Amino acid sequence: MAERSFAQEVLKLRAGDGEVFRGEGILAITKALLQSGVSYVGGYQGSPISHLMDVLNDAREILGELGVHFEANGSEATAAAMLSASVNYPLRGAVTWKSTVGTNVASDALSNLASSGVTGGAMVIVGEDYGEGSSIMQERTYAFAMKAQMWLLDPRPNLPSIVDMVEQGFGLSEASNTPIFYMMRIRGCHVTGEFVARDNVAPGFSNRNPVQPRREPEKIILPPHVYAQEREKISQRLPAALAYIKEHKLNEVFPGRHQQIGIIVQGGVYNTVIRALQRQGLADPFGNTEIPLYVMNVAYPLVPDELVEFCRDREQVLVLEEGQPEYVEQGIHTVLRRANVDTRVRGKDVMPMAGEYTGQVTLEGITRFLEQAAPDITLTLSATDVEALRNPLTEDDQQALLANVPPRPSGLCTGCPERPLFSAIKQVQKELGPFHISSDIGCHSFATLAPFNLGNTIMGYGLSLASSSGIRHSLPHKSISIMGDGGFWHNGLTSGVTSAVFNKHDGVLVIVDNGYSAATGGQDIPSMVEPNQIIATTLDAASASRTDAQSIEAACRGAGVRWLRTVSTYSIDAMMDTLREALTTREPGLKVIVAEGECMLNRQRRIKPLMKQAISGGKRTVRARFMVDSDTCTGDHACIRISGCPSLTIKPNPDPLRRDPVSYVDNSCVGCGVCGSNAHAAILCPSFSRVDLIYNPGRVDRFAARMRGAVIGWLQARTARRQQETAL
Amino acid sequence: MTNPSGTINMILAALGGEGGGVLTNWVIDVADREGWLCQSTSLAGVAQRTGATIYYLELFPRDRLQGDALPVMSLFPAQGDIDIAIASEIAEAGRMVQRGFVTPERTTLIASDHRVYGITEKEHLADGIVDATVLQNVASQYARNYIHYDMLALANEHGTVISSVLLGALAGAGVLPFAKDSYRAVISATGKAVASNLAAFEAGYERASARGVEQFQPPAPALDPVGFQLPAATNSEGQALLQRLRAFPEDCHEILYLGLQKLVDYQDFAYAHQYLDELEALLALDAGSAEHHALVSECGRYLALWMCYEDIPRVAQLKTRPDRVAKIRSEVQAEPGQLFAVTEFFRPRVEEMCALLPAPLGRRVQASPACRRVLGWFTGGKRLRTNTISVFLLLRTLAGLRRWRRSTLGYSHEHALIQSWLQAVRAAAGSDQALALELVECGRLVKGYGDTRARTTAQMQAILAQAVAGNVSASDIAALREAALADDEGRAFAQAMAA
Repeated sequence: MAERSFAQEVLKLRAGDGEVFRGEGILAITKALLQSGVSYVGGYQGSPISHLMDVLNDAREILGELGVHFEANGSEATAAAMLSASVNYPLRGAVTWKSTVGTNVASDALSNLASSGVTGGAMVIVGEDYGEGSSIMQERTYAFAMKAQMWLLDPRPNLPSIVDMVEQGFGLSEASNTPIFYMMRIRGCHVTGEFVARDNVAPGFSNRNPVQPRREPEKIILPPHVYAQEREKISQRLPAALAYIKEHKLNEVFPGRHQQIGIIVQGGVYNTVIRALQRQGLADPFGNTEIPLYVMNVAYPLVPDELVEFCRDREQVLVLEEGQPEYVEQGIHTVLRRANVDTRVRGKDVMPMAGEYTGQVTLEGITRFLEQAAPDITLTLSATDVEALRNPLTEDDQQALLANVPPRPSGLCTGCPERPLFSAIKQVQKELGPFHISSDIGCHSFATLAPFNLGNTIMGYGLSLASSSGIRHSLPHKSISIMGDGGFWHNGLTSGVTSAVFNKHDGVLVIVDNGYSAATGGQDIPSMVEPNQIIATTLDAASASRTDAQSIEAACRGAGVRWLRTVSTYSIDAMMDTLREALTTREPGLKVIVAEGECMLNRQRRIKPLMKQAISGGKRTVRARFMVDSDTCTGDHACIRISGCPSLTIKPNPDPLRRDPVSYVDNSCVGCGVCGSNAHAAILCPSFSRVDLIYNPGRVDRFAARMRGAVIGWLQARTARRQQETAL
Repeated sequence: MTNPSGTINMILAALGGEGGGVLTNWVIDVADREGWLCQSTSLAGVAQRTGATIYYLELFPRDRLQGDALPVMSLFPAQGDIDIAIASEIAEAGRMVQRGFVTPERTTLIASDHRVYGITEKEHLADGIVDATVLQNVASQYARNYIHYDMLALANEHGTVISSVLLGALAGAGVLPFAKDSYRAVISATGKAVASNLAAFEAGYERASARGVEQFQPPAPALDPVGFQLPAATNSEGQALLQRLRAFPEDCHEILYLGLQKLVDYQDFAYAHQYLDELEALLALDAGSAEHHALVSECGRYLALWMCYEDIPRVAQLKTRPDRVAKIRSEVQAEPGQLFAVTEFFRPRVEEMCALLPAPLGRRVQASPACRRVLGWFTGGKRLRTNTISVFLLLRTLAGLRRWRRSTLGYSHEHALIQSWLQAVRAAAGSDQALALELVECGRLVKGYGDTRARTTAQMQAILAQAVAGNVSASDIAALREAALADDEGRAFAQAMAA
C-alpha cells in the first residue's frame, strides 16, 4: 500500500489513438511502454522513479489485460537480471530504478547483459538523482553506459519527446542488439503536460503465447564467446546504433542565424538552455533560436558524422554537460580532431565542473560564452547583470536571513516507530557510550541528523552490518549496526547477516522493522509487521492483511543467528534493556534485535477510514493523543531533544514571568505514546498527559463520568472558593 | 506579460500536510479553464518528510499559440525570473528571498505570517525562536508586492487546510489574469470539503484584495511597563502586600505584582512578604538609577519563579486546578460535551521523595543506602488517571502537603541556593550593575525536573562560585550562561569554565 495511490490516474493508460493524454512524466512513460508492446516490466523503488513503480503496481489490472508481466523486484540486481528475457527472444522489457545507486547494485547483471547483447528491446529507466532534491551521493550514470557499452537516452523534458523516445529506444535497442539506459532527471519525472496517445500494443509473447525455448551458446558470457562479444560491440552493434540514430533523427538540430557559433546540449537540459536564450533575447517562447543548437537526445554514443557536420563551419561551440568528468566534451574533441575540424570547443572552461545546471548556472555560462565567442551579439543581460541575480541581497540583509531562516533537515514523521528506538539508543549511549554506529539507507538515516545525531557512516542499502566488520575489532564497545527491513531484504541478509555469522561477528544488529519500504513511499516488502499494540486507539488490533509474508526472524535464524530478540519500538524501557543486554552479554556471535513498529504513515492510512467508520457507525471508540501541561512545563525542551516529533513543538509561555517557550503538542498528534514513555524512561518531567477522547460513550462511561464529575467538581468548587478568598 | 518567455512563472513552497500538491493542481485546473497551458514540476523525495516541498509552475496563454508549436517552458525556477512566489510560512518566505527568487521589479510574494518552528528552534535549551519581524522586514524590501497575513488562522477558523486560503490570496492578489469564478469552480469540482474550502478561499481572497498591496509595519512593542496599573487587592492581607509593593519604583510594579500573585497561590501571604523582604534589600542598595530598577525587576522575575520551585505538592496542586479540565478540552480540541480520560506520566526520583521529608530526616534518609533502596522500589514510572476520584484525592492530599513545605528538606535546599544567588547579586550590585544583572539573568538556568534540574542547578552554583571568587566581568558571566544553554551534556559549559 504505497503512500500515493495512482488508482484513478492509471485508468488513463487505456487511452487509444488520438486521445489527448494529460499527466505527469512518470505516467507518460508507463503509457509509452504499453504503446511499445512491452512483455515484462519490473524495478526497484527509489526517488525520483518511486512513482513509476507505484503506477505499475496500481496498473496491474491493465497490464494483465494486455498480458504484460510485472514484478516488484527484490533489488536492482534482480531487476537487471530480469532483462535476460530479452537475450534470446524478441521480448521487449523495461525495468526502472534510482541511479547511480541502483545502477551500482545492478552492475553485474548489466555488464553481462551488455556483453551478451539482446534480441528484444531491453530498457533501463533510470531516475537520475543528481542535483537539487537528490538524496544520494552525486554521480552520473554516464560512465557506466560508456564502460559497459549501453546507449544512454536523455530526451527533451516534454511529454511528446519523452513518449516518442521510449518507443524509439526500443527500436534502437533491437537494431543494435544493445540494452539501453533511458534517463529521467528529477524534475522531468514530475513534469506535467500532454501528448496525443496511441493504442496500447499487446506483447507478441506472453503467458498467452509462450516462446519456443531456444539456446544460443554464443550469447553466454563464457570464454571464448566473451572475446567475440567485445569485438562485436565495436564492429557491429555500435555502427548499427549510429545508423539507427541518424536515420531516425533521434538527435535534433535547431538552426539559428548566428552561424559562427553553436551550442551542443543533452536533451534533458534543452529547456533550461532555451530559457536562458529567451532571457537574453535570442529565442522566442516556442524555442525558435538565433543560436544554432545540436540537441543530443542520445547522450551516448556520440554520433561523429552529426557532430562534424554541426561544428565544421563554426568558430566556437559550447558543450553543456552536467557533472564530471566531462566525458562528452572530451569525446567531441576526439571526434573533431580526428576529422581535422578546428572549431574551438568550449565547455567546462565557462561552466562549473560539478553540480547541476540550474536556470541561473546555465544563464551565467551561456552569457559568458556568448560574450567571449560572439561579442557582436547584443545581449539583454551582461555577465555582470546575470551574476548580480544570483544574490540580490545586501550584505546586511544576507546576514539577517542567515541568522533567521532556520534549517529544516529531514526528520522522522509524527508518531514514527523509529523515534522511540533512537530515543532508547540515545539514552543507552548516555550510560555506555559514546557509540560508533554503522548506519544504513532508509528513514532511519535521518537519525544521523538533529536531534538524535546517531550514526557515523552510510555505505549503501543493507550494508550497515557489512560496514561494521572492519571497525569492530577496534571499537571500545560491541559494534552497532542499524538496518531497515527494506535494506535487510535488499542486500542485508546476504551481505550482512550471513557474512557476519560466518565470520563470528560479535556485534549488535538492529533491524528496524516497520513493514514497508517506507522512505521510498511505503511500498510493500517481503516481510510484514505485526500491528502495534500502542495506545492510540481501540482499533489498534485491526491488522493489515497479507497471508504471504516472509519472516525476518526466520531468515536470520536460517542464516545461523542464535541471539535474536524482537521488541516493540514503542516499549522504550524494554528496548533499552535489550540494547544493554546485547551490548554487554558474554554470549558469542551476532546479536540481532528486530525493532518492530508499523510505519505510522501507512498505519494512519489504514486506521483513519476504520476510525471514521466506527465513529459514524455509533461504535464506542477511543482516540488517544498527548498534551503538555503548560503550567508545569519549564521550557527546557529536553523532551524535544530526545524525540524530534513534528507534532511536539513549542509555543509562547503562558506565564508572563517565564521567558522561554513551553513545549506543546499540536493537533497532528497520533497518540503513539512516545513522549509519555520518554518522560518515564528519561525521568523528564510531569508535564505529559495522555488524553483519551471517547466517541459514542457507553452507559458505563457516562455513569462514571457523572459520578466523578459530581465528586471532583464539588471538591474543586471548594478549592476555587478558597483560592478566591486567599488570592491577592 | 512582457517576459521574453511569454510565461507567468510561479514558485510555491509548502511544508508537509499543507496541501501544496492540491494547491498546484487547483492552479493547473484554473489555468486550463481560462484557456492557459500550465506546466508544473516539483521536488519531493525525502523533502516531503519534514522539509519544504518546492513546486514550480509556468503558465502560457493558449490564444498566443502559433499552429502546432508548443511553448518551451523551463523546469527550473531561476533567480530574477519569478513573477509569483508563494510560501506557506514566513521562514519559508525568508528562504525564498535568501535564494534570490524574489526580485523587487517583478515578484509578488504571498506568504502566511504564522510560524512552523524548525528543529533548531524547538530543541534549544531556552528560546531559540528566530525573529520573524526581521524576515518580514527583509521580505517587504525585496518583493514588488508583499501580501501577508496569518493564513493558518483563517484556515483554522474555517476548519480546513492552508492551501485553500493561499489560493484565495493568490486570486485576491490579482496577479493572475483569471476570473474569481474559475477558482471557485475548481474548488467545487474537487468534491471534497467544498463548503469549508470555499469559505476559506473567500476569506483569503477578501484579505488579499481588500488590503491590496500591504506594506509591512513592524509591530508595536508588546509590553509597556509604564502603562501598568496595579489592580486593587481583594482582601486586607493582599492590601498589605500591595502597600509594600507601592514603595517600589513604578517600572518594577508589573513583574513584582505577577510574582506576588504566584507566591500567594504557591504558599501563602507570608511567603510573598518574604519575597518582598529580599527585593527591598536589593532596592535599598541604589534606589536612583533606571538600571537598578531593571535589576530589581528582573531579580523579582527569577526570584518568584525560583521560590515557586516545582516540588511534588506544587505539581499536584497544578494538576488538580479547578480550571484544568476546560484547559485540556480546548487544548486537545475535544468536541463540546465529549467525554475524555486524562492520564498523567509521573516518575519521582528518590531525591524528590526525600525533599518532602522534614529536613533532618530527609538528609538522613538520603544518606542511607538502605533507605534509598527501599524508596527506590517506588520510583517506577507512574501513570495516574487524574479524572478518577481516587487519584484526584491522592493528588489533592499531596497538594495539601504544602502546608509543611517550610520544614522540608527541599525547601531548605532551594532556599540555601537562593540565598547564595542573592548574596552574589547584592555583592555585585554595589560596584558593578552590569555584572549584577548578568548574575540575575542566571536565574533563567534554574528549571526542569530530575536530572535536568540537577544539571542546571550545578551550573548555577559553579557560576556563583566564580563570581564569589572575584575577577569576573559581566561578559564572562554572560558567556558562561550562554555556554550552559548551548547543550544539555554540559560540554560547552565545561569548556567555558576551563577557559
